[in-house]
Amino acid sequence: MTDWDPSKPILEIENLSISFFTRTREIPAVMDFSCSVMPGEAMGLVGESGCGKSTVALAVMRDLGRTGRITGGHIRFKGRDLTTLTEEELRHIRGSEIAMIYQEPMASLNPAMRIGDQLAEVPMLHQGMARAEALKRAREIVADVRLPDPDRILRAYPHQLSGGQQQRIVIAMALMAKPALLILDEPTTALDVTVEAGIVDLVKELGEKYGTSMLFISHNLGLILDVCDRLCVMYSGEAVETGTVHEVFDQMRHPYTQALFRSIPLPGADKNASPLIAIPGNFPLPHERPPGCNFGPRCDYFRDGFCNATEVPMEAVPGHDRHATRCLRWPEIDWNAPPKIGRVTEKRPPGRLVLKMEDLKKYYEVSSGAFGGGAEKVVKANESLSFEAHENETLAIVGESGCGKSTFAKVLMGLETATSGSIMLFDENVQDTPIQARNTDTVSKLQMVFQNPFDTLNPSMTVGRQIIRALEIFQKGNSDAEREEMMLHLLDMVKLPRAFAERMPRQLSGGQKQRVGIARAFAGGAKVVVADEPVSALDVSVQAAVTDLLMDIQRENHTTLLFISHDLSIVRYLSDRVMVMYLGHVVELGTTDQVFAPPYHPYTEALLSAVPIADTRVKKRRIVLEGDIPSAMNPPPGCPFQTRCRWKRLVPDAKCETQMPPVKVLAGGHQIKCHLTDAQLAQMEPVLTRVTDSAGGTGGASGGSI
Amino acid sequence: MDSLSWPLIFAKMAVQFWPVWAALIVTVALSLHFRRRLGLYGKLFDSTVGILGFVIVMFWVFTAIFADLIITFDPLAQISQMKNVSPGTPVPGSDAWYLLGGDHLARDVFSRVVMGARRVLTIAPAATVIAFMVGITLGLPAGYFGGKLDTGLSFIANLVLAFPVILLFYLLVTPEIRQTGVPVVLAAILFLFPVIFVSVLLNSRYFTTPAKRNLYVGVALALGLWAYSGLAFNADPTGLWSMDPNLLNVFVSVVFVNAPTVFRIVRGIVMDLKSRDYVAAGQTRGEGPWYIMLWEILPNARGPLIVDFCLRIGYTTILLGTLGFFGLGVSPESPDWGSTIDDGRRLLSIYPHPAVVPALALMSLVLGLNLLADGLREESMRD
Repeated sequence: MTDWDPSKPILEIENLSISFFTRTREIPAVMDFSCSVMPGEAMGLVGESGCGKSTVALAVMRDLGRTGRITGGHIRFKGRDLTTLTEEELRHIRGSEIAMIYQEPMASLNPAMRIGDQLAEVPMLHQGMARAEALKRAREIVADVRLPDPDRILRAYPHQLSGGQQQRIVIAMALMAKPALLILDEPTTALDVTVEAGIVDLVKELGEKYGTSMLFISHNLGLILDVCDRLCVMYSGEAVETGTVHEVFDQMRHPYTQALFRSIPLPGADKNASPLIAIPGNFPLPHERPPGCNFGPRCDYFRDGFCNATEVPMEAVPGHDRHATRCLRWPEIDWNAPPKIGRVTEKRPPGRLVLKMEDLKKYYEVSSGAFGGGAEKVVKANESLSFEAHENETLAIVGESGCGKSTFAKVLMGLETATSGSIMLFDENVQDTPIQARNTDTVSKLQMVFQNPFDTLNPSMTVGRQIIRALEIFQKGNSDAEREEMMLHLLDMVKLPRAFAERMPRQLSGGQKQRVGIARAFAGGAKVVVADEPVSALDVSVQAAVTDLLMDIQRENHTTLLFISHDLSIVRYLSDRVMVMYLGHVVELGTTDQVFAPPYHPYTEALLSAVPIADTRVKKRRIVLEGDIPSAMNPPPGCPFQTRCRWKRLVPDAKCETQMPPVKVLAGGHQIKCHLTDAQLAQMEPVLTRVTDSAGGTGGASGGSI
Repeated sequence: MDSLSWPLIFAKMAVQFWPVWAALIVTVALSLHFRRRLGLYGKLFDSTVGILGFVIVMFWVFTAIFADLIITFDPLAQISQMKNVSPGTPVPGSDAWYLLGGDHLARDVFSRVVMGARRVLTIAPAATVIAFMVGITLGLPAGYFGGKLDTGLSFIANLVLAFPVILLFYLLVTPEIRQTGVPVVLAAILFLFPVIFVSVLLNSRYFTTPAKRNLYVGVALALGLWAYSGLAFNADPTGLWSMDPNLLNVFVSVVFVNAPTVFRIVRGIVMDLKSRDYVAAGQTRGEGPWYIMLWEILPNARGPLIVDFCLRIGYTTILLGTLGFFGLGVSPESPDWGSTIDDGRRLLSIYPHPAVVPALALMSLVLGLNLLADGLREESMRD
C-alpha cells in the first residue's frame, strides 16, 4: 500500500469479466468492463436491472458468492490487484478500506444489536480500538450524518428508527473506518423522495468532507447527475459509454444513452405533443446476447453486416475528458438531430363527470393491547377527501408512503368501506357498498392496475387463464371459445404476442407482466382505472412503453385514469390534473400546470425540489426537508405538514400548530390547504428553472419557470 | 439342502425384488430424460440427496405395488419347524428358504416385511392426505379472514397439539372409548372435509358457468358422499368402500393429531400470501373468498406444503409403527412393521432378526422420505 501514488486512480478496473456458473451453463454477467475512480471522485454506474452494475460492485468487494467467478481482467485498489488477494487479506480491506452501502437499510443492520454497539464494532475490529473510544467515535459520526439526539440513537435498536434514519446509520457505519472507497448500491431506492433528497445531500457532503471516493450505483439518471462527477453507462454486461457527467448528458456518443434519455420524462415532455420514445424490444438475456453490438437489435442506427460483424471495442472520443463509447458508428451519427416525433395526438377534452368524492373519511381503529385492552387509537388514513374526475381525464394522486393514497384506492375499489362521505360513481353511491355487494357491471367498470409486476399475476396460472378468469367473472362472452377469442384480442390490445397466452408469468419480463395486468383490468371494459404506481418498479426504457400503452388505451376507450404515484416527473408528463396528499389530507389540487408552477403548497414545493431531474439545463432550488414523515398513528396537531414546513415562521400566532388550515381556492379552481396569505403565496419562486443555453456565458441566465 | 450364507441371502433377495428394480430403472431413466420438462419433480433430479431419497421411497412404493410377485411364502402361513429359525434356513419339503428367517409363529420374515410395506404405504399416505385436506380447509379461512374465526380455530388446534400424542392414541383406541362412539363421530367429522374441500374447490372455479359447475360438483359430491358413507359409517350399500373398525380407529387418530400442524402451516402461509397484488386483483374483480383462497393462494403455497407432505408421511409411518408397537394397531395378524417389531422384541436378545428386519425397513423408508423432502426443499428454493 505504501507504493501507491495518490495521483493515480484509487480504483482501476481493467477488462473485467465475470461469469456465473449454473448447473446448465456459464452465464457471463459482465464482459470487458473497465473504469477508474480517482481519489475524491464520485463515479456513477448507471443501467437497467440485469445490466451487471451490482455485479461489478460485488466483484470489487470480491463477494460474488459460490457461483460467481472473475474470469478475466484486474481490479486494482490503491495499486493492489484485488483479484489475487487471499481471504485473509481481503478481510482487512473490506469494511476498513472499502465499504459498501446496500439498498435495503433494514437488511444491513443487525436487528438484535443496539446501534451504538454495531457502529463501535467496526473500529474495534479493524483498528483494535478500545470500546469506550469506539463509542465516542460512533457518537461523532452519528452527529455527522445529521441524526438528531445521537445519544438516544446509539441506544436504540434498528427497528426503532425510520427507514431514512436507518440508511443514515448504514452510511455512518460505512464511514466509521474512514474508508478510501465507498460503494453505494442504489442507496435510496427504498426511500421516499423527500427522504432521498436528504440522503443524497448527506452523501455528497460527506464525500467532500472526508475526501472519500465513491462508486455510486443507480438506475436513476437524475440522481447520478446530482451526486457524481463521472459516470459509466452499462448495457447488458458491458460499459457502453463513460465520461464526465456533463459530457455524457449533453454530448452523448452512444445510441443507448441517447435512447435512455429520450425515454425518460424530462420537464418539457408532453404526452400529446412530444411523447416519450420507448426503446423497442427487450433487454437480451445473458445467454442470448446478439453477436457484435449488444444493443444492435434495439438500435435506430443499426446497420446489418457492420454492427453485428465484430466485437465492438471501447473507443475514446477525442477532445473530451476520458470520454469513451462502445459504438462503431459514432463518428457518422448526427448527434444533434432532433428525435423523430412518433405520433402527435390531439388532447381530448374531458367528458362527463364519472367519479365524485365528497368529504370522504376513512378512519381505522387500532387497539394496542394483545387481548383487546389497551388504549384505542384512531388512525385517520383519509381526512375529508373531495374531488371529481371526468371521462378522458388523467388525475394523478401524488404523495409519499403513508399519505393515504393506497387507503383511498382501497375505499374506492370497495375493499374497505368509508367511515363517512360519499363516492358517486356514474350517479351511483358506492360509499357503503363493499365489493361483494356491488353488481358485476359496477365492478367491471372500476378496475385497478397494480404496482409490483412480480406480484400482480398469480405465479401458478397461465397468462391466458388469468385473463379468461376476469372475463368469466365479468360475465363477458357466452362460451369458452368466445372468451378465448376475447382474451387474444386483449393480448393484441396490450401489444403482446398471442403465444403468451400459454406462458406462465415467470417466463415474462416485468414490463410484459404489467401489460398482462393492464389487459386483465380492461377485460370488462373498465371506465375508471386506478393505476397504483404502475411503472415505478419497471426499468426506465420499459416505463415509457407501458405509460404510452396506458395513454393509448385511455384515448381509445375514453377511460378515466386515476394515476397514483410518487414520481413527479411521470405525473407531469401524463396527467391532466394533480392531487397532492400528505398524511391523509389533500394539500393541493389543480391542473398540472397550476400544481407545477408557483404558488405551491409548501409540501409540493419540497416534493418538486426533491425529485432528481436528469437534465443539465434545469436548475433546481434545493429545499431539503428536515426529519421524516410523522406517523399517521400520531399526527401532529394543526397542519399536518407543520413539523417539516419551512414557511411556518411566516404565519403569525403559531396558527400552523393549532389550527387545521382551510382550503384556499385560487384562480382557476386551484386549491391549496395552507395558512399562508395570498400575498405570501404569490411571492413564491419557481423551484425549477431552465438555464438558457449559455453560449460562452458564465452563470447562465435563468429562463423562467418551466 | 444347506443353509444359505449371507452373500447368497442378499443375492436371492435381490433376485426376488426384480420387478422393483425394473420399475425403478424405467422411472429414473424416463425422469432423467425428461427432467427439463417436469417442473419441480424434474429439478429434483439435479440434487444427489433428492435422487437418493426418491429412489429409496420409490423402492418401497414399488415393493408395495409388486408385493404379490416378491413374497416367497404366504405372510400368514406358519410352517411348524421354522419357528425362530435363522436367516437362510431351507424349508423342508420345498426348494425354498426362509430368506430372513422365521418369527416366533414360524412365519417368513422376508414375506412379512414385503407385505408390511403394502400396509404401511396404504395407510400412511392416505391418512396424510386426509389430514392435509382437513388442515387446508380450516387453515385457509383462518389465515385469510383472521379475527375471531382464526382465534377460535387456532385455540382448538393448540388444544389438540398440547395433549400428549401417545396418550391420545391410547384413549382413542381403547375399547371403552370406542364404545362411546367417539371415534366414529370423529371419523364422521374428519372425512367430511375432503368432500367439502373438493366441492368448494370446483364450485368456486366454475360458478360462472352453471351447467359445468352442476356437472362437476354433482359428480364430486356423489362420489365423495358414497365413499364417505362407506368409510365413516360402514354404510355403503355396494360394499365397495369400507374400513375395518380397528383400522378406522388408527386412521382417525393419525388424521386427528396431524391436522392441527398442517392447519398452522397453511394459516401461516396464507397470512403471508394474502397481501400479494394478485390476491388484491382477485378481490377488485369481485371474486369470492373461497376462489381466492383455493385458486389464487393455495397453488402458490404448494412448495412448503409438498415438503411438509413428504415429512409428514414419514412421521405418520413412525406413528403407525408406534401404534403397532403398543399393540394398538390393526389386526394382530397384520404384517405391518410396527406390530412385527413388537412381536419380535420379546425374544430380541436370542433371535434379533424378526424385529431388526422390519425396524430397518421402517428406518429406511422414513430416511428416504426425509431425504426426498430435503431435496424438494433445496430445489424449490433455487431460482
